[in-house]
Parts: sequence; structure tokens; C-alpha cells
Amino acid sequence: MNEVIHNQTRRDFIRKLAIGAGGLAVLGNFGVVFRLHGATGNMLRGIVVDFTKCTGCRTCETVCSAFNHLVEVDGEMLNGLGNPWLSNIKVHWYNPDVDIPMVCSLCEDAPCIEVCPVEPDEVTGHKPMYRDPITQTIRNNPDTCIGCRRCARACSRQRTGVIQMDANRRPIGMCSLCNGDPKCVKYCSFDALKYVELHDETEFRKMSPDAVARILIERFYDIRV
Amino acid sequence: MSANGYYGILLDVNLTTREVSRFQVPENDLKMFVGGRGLGMKILWDRLKEPGIDPLAPENPLMIMPGPFLGLPIPSASRTTVICKSPRTSPVSSPYANASSISYASMGGFIGPEIRFAGYDGIVIQGKANTPVYLYINNDQVEIRDATEFWGMDTDDFDKKFIEHLGDRRFRSCYIGTAGERLNPMACIINTAARAAGRGGTGCVMGSKNLKAIAVRGTGQPNVANHKRFLELLEKSRAAFAEDTESRRNWRYGGTANSITSASDRGVQAVKNFQEGTFEYAHKIGAKAAREQIWQRDFSCFCCKLACKKSGVAKGAYGGLVHDGPEYETGTMLGANLLIDDINGLNKAIFIADDYGMDIISVGNAIGFLMEAYEKNLVTKEFLGGIDLKWGSVDATLEMIHLMGKMEGIGKEASQGVKHLSEIVGKDSHKFAIHVKGHEVAAWNIHARPEWFGISYATCNRGACHMHGGSPSAQNQLALRDSIGACNFASSWFRNELAFHNFMSAITGIEWTAESFEQAGERIINMERIFNHREGFSRADDGIPDRFFEDAPTHGPSKGILVERDAFSKMLDDYYTQRGWNPETASPGREKREELGLGFA
Repeated sequence: MNEVIHNQTRRDFIRKLAIGAGGLAVLGNFGVVFRLHGATGNMLRGIVVDFTKCTGCRTCETVCSAFNHLVEVDGEMLNGLGNPWLSNIKVHWYNPDVDIPMVCSLCEDAPCIEVCPVEPDEVTGHKPMYRDPITQTIRNNPDTCIGCRRCARACSRQRTGVIQMDANRRPIGMCSLCNGDPKCVKYCSFDALKYVELHDETEFRKMSPDAVARILIERFYDIRV
Repeated sequence: MSANGYYGILLDVNLTTREVSRFQVPENDLKMFVGGRGLGMKILWDRLKEPGIDPLAPENPLMIMPGPFLGLPIPSASRTTVICKSPRTSPVSSPYANASSISYASMGGFIGPEIRFAGYDGIVIQGKANTPVYLYINNDQVEIRDATEFWGMDTDDFDKKFIEHLGDRRFRSCYIGTAGERLNPMACIINTAARAAGRGGTGCVMGSKNLKAIAVRGTGQPNVANHKRFLELLEKSRAAFAEDTESRRNWRYGGTANSITSASDRGVQAVKNFQEGTFEYAHKIGAKAAREQIWQRDFSCFCCKLACKKSGVAKGAYGGLVHDGPEYETGTMLGANLLIDDINGLNKAIFIADDYGMDIISVGNAIGFLMEAYEKNLVTKEFLGGIDLKWGSVDATLEMIHLMGKMEGIGKEASQGVKHLSEIVGKDSHKFAIHVKGHEVAAWNIHARPEWFGISYATCNRGACHMHGGSPSAQNQLALRDSIGACNFASSWFRNELAFHNFMSAITGIEWTAESFEQAGERIINMERIFNHREGFSRADDGIPDRFFEDAPTHGPSKGILVERDAFSKMLDDYYTQRGWNPETASPGREKREELGLGFA
């Protein structure tokens, strides 16, 4: 069986946004995006976890993987089967028992972009690690990326550690927000994931799983690790 | 590369030579025995060509078998079966000194899916390492590594330290505690510190191979035959679970601990070494009490929407440890069965038994026997190592669990099981040694439900088992569930279009029907029976202890109820007739074997 893997494209995201905004043409129109996200000017929306509800089932991993890595089956593009390895959201387990789904925090001051050593190129105007201005998600251009891993290291040392390197030495694991309709949020059976505005003070934002675990273990069990 | 749901490959490990190879499973075996428990049973038969092998001998194959549902995000598809020859059971008579039955035990969590992500349909382990080792599986990189630094560690500590040692928290592991290392017959295999492949002494067999743990990490996934159809069924099954039903709420609320009070209310709980069916203080150790006093979180196995597992922290003198408890079996066998009504003490007892890595059902059953023997002055306090083993005593119970875990003094005798205890105690104590074939009866009592639990315990091929089922049809279906990797608790959602056999059809590309599904289960159970028959088991080994014919409960809904010997004998006759088995050998003859494709046996 021939399989072709496609990733969701920026074009799809914009198309969805346009439909949601009643057909407004938003392609390249940055000002409309601000209005769409609210008058406050805080435009950042991302995924947050309610740890009192998460049961660690990892359904989120399987749907992120399935929807973001389509396969071609008999000429039709279908969801993958949901290999957790390909997921952008990853659930970390601990003993004492806490389960911690980690997903890209869409850091405004993204260290992964800051440490990227490659100069912005003339064609795109940005580094290989860049923030997509429409979706606000962090993306990597595999053609200009040199595979140095500094982004993954910075993420791991300073923030959530979601960035991993794939078999081609390119960073993966940055949340795509599934074109504005995040599937992990939709499919979580326990309402543990929400797609909300992100602020500096959003609890657990930009923290490593170990740091979150320490807090939760104390909160749930009154045990200091 | 997987095709049609299977890789067709098992990891074949020889711990004596420290060689690892890939065993190609004949396609016909996949069709006939499906996976999990069924496939393990076929391999057990193929590898043990002679009866009477010592279950602690290197050739006893220890198998970890996930099943074709695993690795796919089907709700609750998380169960893995461990199969081997049993160190617990023995027939009434046999020409073989080491005669014993098959053994299997099922566990949930995440290790089964991970084995399938790594690219294998299971793991077969034979031989014995000359020093403690662990099996390291990282996709196709498989190594036998030194575990000397971990030998002597109990399961909770090991669970924390081993993952640090592996250096990658994506690994999933299963392991034994010091009970398994000491070849404690009641030793089990643990994962995530609180999930157990509990019954049948599989941890003892693992310890006999000097195998401390198995660590698995995988980045692949099986393919399915009909991708589109599979996705349709998957979407519909997720929608089915999304409905806010009472059943789903109950699983989330209390897990199996809900039954601690409901079984008592119905008079079907194991109370006071099975003398009674109702526990006056069941409400003090049940789900509501646990929610109010102990539980902090609900958690799930892979892709499960029920979240029946609980983690909590007990308080007071027995407090400070985080663990999953009580569940129905653990909460009853160390609670109601021992007349213990202190939920914090109960949680500690459960933790300690899990920490050693012991089958809590068997441990609780054995302690109940000793409490009764002590009360009746059939044994002295000295015999019990100085423990004042009174009904309801948490401290005495904790002391006894420690002795059993360490296999010291009376603990060593008790770890051999209630059959053995009744032999050394004598004085007709066999009448209240509640086991079948040498394997302890579990938390569902028999007086009030002999037609279901009596048959389940009497006829199960691994010894007394509450999960076997009370009718041939139920047994066949449950055997298939253990073979595909589905969780029983979620099974009621898989009906009509979402029936398990429809998923199997989409996964394998073979048209499975309800009938062919059940026939595969029938085949597996018959295969188990054939193995046992060859060891010397017969109808004499299918029975229930005298207690249920002679000692009626004194209170509750089952007050005064006794099972009638003749009536039960007739139930067994009917059962054998339905199964098409010879009523004396209690096993399939030539015709039945041919019908099921077991003519080779």
C-alpha cells in the first residue's frame, strides 16, 4: 500500500479562519486577525491543561498524530491511525501518580526562535525557526534549517521541552493548533484540555514537565519531591 | 512492517545463551489463536512437548502477549496477557511430580501498546540468566542488560529508579519485586507500581529466570487491513463513550471499589474467609469512603475513557504513601475477608503487598485462612511467628504480609498457598482452605451464586478464577477478549456495529463474525484443557471447597444458603455436556478436537 503523508498547511488554516469570519478575505491581512481575536490586542490563543481532570489516557496524543499526519489510502487522504510518537502533545507520567500533557506554549519570547543561528533569508524574511504571523504557531522551514538542534535544547532547558528532532534532523513537536480547531481539545473525554487565550500568568505555562510534576505532586498528595 | 493488524513476529529470548531472535508466527496460528492469551497458549503447547515440566525450570516459556487491538487507539485497548506453566496449581493425582496447569494473568496500563509500537506481537522468554538481568527493547534494538544493581529492590522504588536509569521517560516497563526474586509462588508482575498481572505466579516464573524487568520503547505502529473502515468504527466508538451514561459515571466515581459495598449488600462478597457474604462495615472501606478520605485523582490506561484507576494518599498512622487502592479484589481480600474496616490501614496493606509484588487475592485469602485457624485454636501464636492474628487487625495483617513477602517463617508456608497451609495445619482445615486446583478463590463468594461463580472457579484452567465466566459462551468470549487485548470493563460499549469482531474484521481483513469469534474463544479454552489433561488434571480437580456445601452464612441476603452437592455436580455435568467434553476426564475427546482444528494436540 502506498502511503503519502501530508501535513496541514497554513493555507488550510487561513481558509478555515476565513470561513469562520463569514467569508472575510484574510489572506495577508494582519489587521483582520487582531480584530478576530478580540479588542484587547492580546491575540495569543493556545492549549491549556486542567490537571485535575487529566487521567493520562493519551487519547490526545493519538488524535494529534492522526489529524496532523494524514495518509493516502486508495487515492484518498485519511487520518493516520494515531501513532503517539508523531504527536505534538505528549503526556508525561510520574510516580507519585500525576499525568502531565505537555504542548507548545507559543512563547511570545520564543527561545527556540531566538537561539536559531541562521540569519533570516531573503525569500521568506525569517529564520528557519519562525513564528507564523497568522496562526501564531512556531514553525520550522526544513529547507533553510541546518539541523543544529539549538531550538530543541533551548526548549528543553528553558521551557516545555516539546521540541524533538526527527530522523532527518529537523525539529518537530511544535503545536499546529490543527488549523484553529485543535483535535486534542475536541477529543479529550475528560474536558481536560481547553483552547483559550494565553497570558504571562497562565498557570504552568512555559514550564517543564518535571517542574509541573513537583507542584502537582505536592498539591495532590502533600508530598515534596 | 505490519500487515493486516499483525507483525507476525515475536521476540524470542533465550536468557541462558543471552540470544535474541525473531520468531515468525505461522499465519494459521494468528487466525486460529488470535493473539494475547490464545496465541500464548498455542506457543506454550508448542514449546513444552512433554508434560510434567518443573514450572521453575528454564524451559518454562514466560510470554508477554499484547493482542491485535493493541497499539491502535481503540478505547480501552490496553490489556496484555502473561502466559506460562503455573507454579501454583497441581492435580489431585498425576504420574508427574511437577504436574501443574497453564497459567495466565492480564495487566493493563501502557506496556502492551508499547510492545506493539516497537514492532512485535509479543515476547517469549525461555532459559535462565546466570546473573540478574533486564530485557531492553528500543524498537529493533534488543539487549539483555545487567540488573544486578536493581536486584533486591521492591516495585515502588524500582518504578522510580529504573526510569531514571533508562534515561528516557517514554519507556514502559514491567517488573518483579523481591517476592519474585525469592521465587515466592504468589509473586506477580507489576507495572506502574500499582498494576498487576496478578494471578497464577507469573512473577515467580520471571524470578526463576533471574529476569528483573522488561523495558520497552517503540516509535512505530501496526497497520490495519481496512484503514477507512477502522477509522469509521474508531470514531463511532469514541462517540459512544462520549455519552454521559450512569455506567460511565460509576466507573469514574469508584472503579471496581463500587462493588465493595454492592457485593456486600447482595451477600456475594468474600467475608471472614468466605464464611459470610456480607460485611457489616463494607461502607467504611468502599468507594464513597475512599473518595472522601483517600482518593485524589482518577486515571486511565491507554486510550481509556472510564478512568477506573484511582490514586490517593492515606492519612494518619498508615498514611503518607501514594497508591491505587482499594479496588474490589484488593479491598475485599485484605479488607472484608479479614474483617478489616480501617480504610487507611487497608490502603497500606495493599501498598505493601504490591510493593513486594504479590498476588493480593492469594495473599488475602491465605491470611483469612490463618485468621480462622487461629480463632479456632488450630494453630498457636508461635506457629504464626508470634503474631496475634485476630480478625480485623491491621497491624497483624501488615506483619503477616511482610513475612509472606520475605518468605520468612510462617510467611514462607503461607506463600505456598492455602492448600499447603491446610496440609501442614491438618485437623480438617482443608474444609476452609478456599482454593481450586491449589489457586486461591477471589473476592466473589459462592454460596449465593454457584451457577455463575461456582462454575467459574471450578472450571477455570489456571485454577480458581473469578474472571473465567459461568457458562461456556461467556468463557469463550472472555477468552477472546484476553486474546485481542480488550478491557472487560469497557466491553458493554462495544455492541452491535461496534462489536469487537467488527473491529477485528477491519484490522485483519478477515471477516470475523460473532460466531467465529466465540469459536476462537472455545478453541483457546479447549487448548488450555488439553494441556491440563496431559498434565493429569481431570474432573476430580474441577470443584469447589467444602465450605460452600457445609457452612452457610449467618447473616445478610445469603444467610442460611448452602450449595447442594448433587445440584453442583449436575451443574458440572451440564457444563461438560455443553462443552462437548468427556464427563470423567473433563476434557475434549477426538471429535471435539477435530471440530476446533486441534487435531494436532
